[in-house]
Amino acid sequence: MSSASINSSAGSLADAPAHVEKRRGWLASVVHHALSRWGTRLSLAWIGLVAFCAVFAPFLANSFPLLVKIDGHWSSPAMTHLTAVDVTLVIAVFSSIVILNFKGLSRLAQAGIFLVILLATLTIAHFVIKPPLVRGYEEYRELKQEGRVQAMLPAPIPYSPSDHLKDQFDFTHPQPWAPSGSHLFGTEQNGEDVLSVMIYACRIAMSIGFISTGIAVFIGIIVGGFMGYFVGWVDLLGMRLVEVFGAIPTIYLLLAFCAAFERDIYMVMAIIGLTGWTSDARFVRAEFLRLRGQDFVHAAIAAGLPLRSVLFRHLLPNALAPILVSASFGVAAAILSESVLSFLGLGLPVDAASWGRLLNQSVGQGGGFHLWLAMYPGLAIFLTVFSYNVIGESLRDALDPRLNPQ
Amino acid sequence: MTQKPLLQIRDLNIAFDTPRGQIRPVRDVSLDIFPGQIVALVGESGCGKSVTSLSILRLIPTPPGKVLSGKISLESRDLLALTEKEMRKVRGKDIAMIFQEPMTSLNPVYTIGDQIVEAIMLHQHVDTKRAYEIAEESLREVGIADAHRRLHEYPHQMSGGMRQRVMIAMALSCKPRLLIADEPTTALDVTIQAQILELLRKLQRETGMAILLITHDLGVVAENADVVAVMYASRVVEVATVEEIFDHPKHPYTQGLLRSVPKLGAPEGRLESISGAVPNPARFPTGCKFHPRCPLTRQAAVKVPADQTVEIKTVEEKFRVLKICTTMEPELREIEQRHWGACHLVENYERSKVSLPVLDHRREVTANVVDTEHEGSLVLDELEQGRKEQNS
Repeated sequence: MSSASINSSAGSLADAPAHVEKRRGWLASVVHHALSRWGTRLSLAWIGLVAFCAVFAPFLANSFPLLVKIDGHWSSPAMTHLTAVDVTLVIAVFSSIVILNFKGLSRLAQAGIFLVILLATLTIAHFVIKPPLVRGYEEYRELKQEGRVQAMLPAPIPYSPSDHLKDQFDFTHPQPWAPSGSHLFGTEQNGEDVLSVMIYACRIAMSIGFISTGIAVFIGIIVGGFMGYFVGWVDLLGMRLVEVFGAIPTIYLLLAFCAAFERDIYMVMAIIGLTGWTSDARFVRAEFLRLRGQDFVHAAIAAGLPLRSVLFRHLLPNALAPILVSASFGVAAAILSESVLSFLGLGLPVDAASWGRLLNQSVGQGGGFHLWLAMYPGLAIFLTVFSYNVIGESLRDALDPRLNPQ
Repeated sequence: MTQKPLLQIRDLNIAFDTPRGQIRPVRDVSLDIFPGQIVALVGESGCGKSVTSLSILRLIPTPPGKVLSGKISLESRDLLALTEKEMRKVRGKDIAMIFQEPMTSLNPVYTIGDQIVEAIMLHQHVDTKRAYEIAEESLREVGIADAHRRLHEYPHQMSGGMRQRVMIAMALSCKPRLLIADEPTTALDVTIQAQILELLRKLQRETGMAILLITHDLGVVAENADVVAVMYASRVVEVATVEEIFDHPKHPYTQGLLRSVPKLGAPEGRLESISGAVPNPARFPTGCKFHPRCPLTRQAAVKVPADQTVEIKTVEEKFRVLKICTTMEPELREIEQRHWGACHLVENYERSKVSLPVLDHRREVTANVVDTEHEGSLVLDELEQGRKEQNS
């Protein structure tokens, strides 16, 4: 019910362009202010590019052609080799665009529908989509050489990330290969195309940042919110909990876990999230402490609203600002942590596409330094972390009332 | 007049635990509010009037605050015995409250409409569309022009007076039977004050709700209240009808308060004030809490033998007061018919009996308050005219 009202105001916002300038909500004006800087826009553009690569990776880099005509028959090997995750990602993006354009729905309903679609696609895709287990990456390259391909539309980068180029094995010229016309960013030691791996690695970069920060923010809001609202012994216990978790060095914990257990990206996300919530909790607590004495909170209680509504509808949105800032820094830190782990050769399964793993290979097994294996993934990590930091900075500035008089 | 009181407060005692020990901002407060009555609770800052009003809705933060004893009942329900869940149904629906600061009483991140609608949907169980209609209606009732558009505006787009109107609309949207107005006009400028009070009075007459008006503005009291309760340092010291309070104030504190109001046509000079300051709730004086500031006891002390008086030294002065005032706390007694006071030196105090201040009184509605909307705008027009003339 509450979100219904939020949406109807958003709806009317869109209906009355003449009043847009005047009617902009507080959060919207903060976002607007942050976006007025070109640095923020560039950063968002980069994050957008990374997100685009993450979602559409199989259409950007694939050993299987998007369309091919063999013996007079058209087919799309790229489509038949899509995995359940690939399909789910694409469907999720398109359905979210469609849902967001439905004006009649409340934000909560939109989120609910999106989640249902996401889960449904994931389950259905898991059972329905069965890509061939054995992938002959060189199949179409060989068919083409044999001249059986009449027409072909290859992906922009015609190499899958785990394509080891077995058909091009050359004893006199061992991998890794330096950048060249056919491999723009070169290849790594197993023969995988670096650009292709980097495109697929966007998935890990995006998901590790968002999921681990999401876990951290969620825990932080709950713990910090209760501490700030109830004060007294709840606050006392909560702060001790925050201190205990704050004392755990994340990177050592990760190293220990990675050494002890099977390498798993979800474990890395969970550990970063479960240890990183303390700063969010502090922010939320401080904000709630500030807000709980304000008249509109008293007014909300005096109107008979339940605790749930007072806490999460009236207090939380007013406390969201510093969390947004800390979350964007948290995303950057999580990406960096994963890169560090992968660089040390500990974080992810060895065949996972990750920027950190490419970095790891820049120093060859037989010695020697491969510049392209350090530069391109390093640049991607740098740009992504830098972008999140710039976004965090500009959000913080936009939220500072002394810099942004209303 | 055999109506039953809407709200009954009986011997309310409230304490706050502070690092420096317990303080008791409300002691033995009893008050009755009848349907359709405007009861004013008057007193200086820190006398306990706001704490009393907050305790009715159980909004006192616990801890550190707690109700030591007493009873607050809405008709026959004991509010202090309700569970938090039951209490939520009373808040907003039976008893609504408007606060002092309209600038901060609205949530800055939601539109006016969203905030009004939330309470309406909660208490009246209607769907969103109907709730918005009710909200628009109540905005119109409080005199907000272009209510439909205003519903979708944010608080920062409105002026203080407008926001207070919104607060009133929000409070009245669920048709409460009692409205607690905690200094509703303190933060507003004088012309807006008048408009808001006119509006409250008009809505009160239309809906028949009761109002507990908490204020330290005696002008507001004289214009609006039916019954006045004067609080000083955690206790109610005088209760009477508004006419009685202003014509025959009995308690020296009330008399002092009334003397300190500027009067039209009075000779120029310094405005009279009550000497001294409100005592710190952590260190209330013994006996009658007003005795260090009371002119009556000083005058009386001159006339009696020295063994019946006590000397008081402060930084500024040295004087004698009656011993009884420093040892015995006076109770609220019915010193005259329908007039309660708590002072040893008031006439008849010795002979009167302790009784509860129950006063079902309504002021006579005079003719000049009927056309309120027009009056307000006329005043504004005149002001506008005056300003223009000054400018030119």
